[in-house]
Amino acid sequence: MHLLAQTLLVAQASPEDIVQELARLQRNFHFLSYGFAAAWIILTLYVLMLVGRERKLKRQITNLKAMLEERQKK
Amino acid sequence: MRDKILYVLGALAVLVLARNLYVIAGLPQEAAQGAIFKIIFFHVPAAWTAIVAAITALTMSVQFLRTKDFKYDAAAVAVTEVGLAFLAANLVTGSIWARVIWGIWWTWDVRLTSALVCWLLYAGYLMLRHAIEEPTQRATFAAVFSILAFLDVPIVYFSIRWFRTQHPAPVFLSSNGSFPADWTRVLLSNWLGLLLLAIVMTAIRLRQEESQREIDSLRRAAHAM
Repeated sequence: MHLLAQTLLVAQASPEDIVQELARLQRNFHFLSYGFAAAWIILTLYVLMLVGRERKLKRQITNLKAMLEERQKK
Repeated sequence: MRDKILYVLGALAVLVLARNLYVIAGLPQEAAQGAIFKIIFFHVPAAWTAIVAAITALTMSVQFLRTKDFKYDAAAVAVTEVGLAFLAANLVTGSIWARVIWGIWWTWDVRLTSALVCWLLYAGYLMLRHAIEEPTQRATFAAVFSILAFLDVPIVYFSIRWFRTQHPAPVFLSSNGSFPADWTRVLLSNWLGLLLLAIVMTAIRLRQEESQREIDSLRRAAHAM
């Protein structure tokens, strides 16, 4: 029934209407993919920030421990 | 052991979210809005995750002021930072949805403005922490600021019930709207994935706070020598 109604609607529409509707659908899909991509990019950037900070902290701990050991030897 | 648990939880979160992307792609389009409506499956769970983070930050801040135990301060900063990332994802996805449905990227509507103020408040909390050197003073001021910042959270949540806003009316836990049961399952499953991700991120951030404290004590030892 739904398919029949849609077919009748398409039959009544002008070619310009169909082109416009297709463009609207395409734009909708584009923006949906931008939305998902943006959300993933934000979370990925945060994870990368965490990884970078983790490395920096580990390096600092190693350097400080080495420095303390050296001072103790002297 | 703790690292292994984090890896497993992280992998599980990514698997759940990747599976949900596939499920969301297969769902039919919403009648009035079309495909862009599906952004709700990320927009709303991101907001709920940010709210859970804000409630946890409030609890941890109150606990710090009661006990003066720095582990609560570390938990508060970790969960606030993670919540901020999720609130940013919520604001950006909402803005992209608005561009298609309203024709504008942003409007100074009560819901949108209060959510932006919330983001700015918690960003201010993180900036405040950088500005204070002395650890006890920093943790105390930050805890008080976090409690005050939380006052905005109920305003964000209830704004669409209290005021006439351009933002759509609530469709969950409300008699106004309806959301199909199978769509609700996908939405809840996506929330589960994001919550798992938030837990892993918070645990990593918490470990970094522990490392920072270790660095501070090593520096003190180096100065004492």
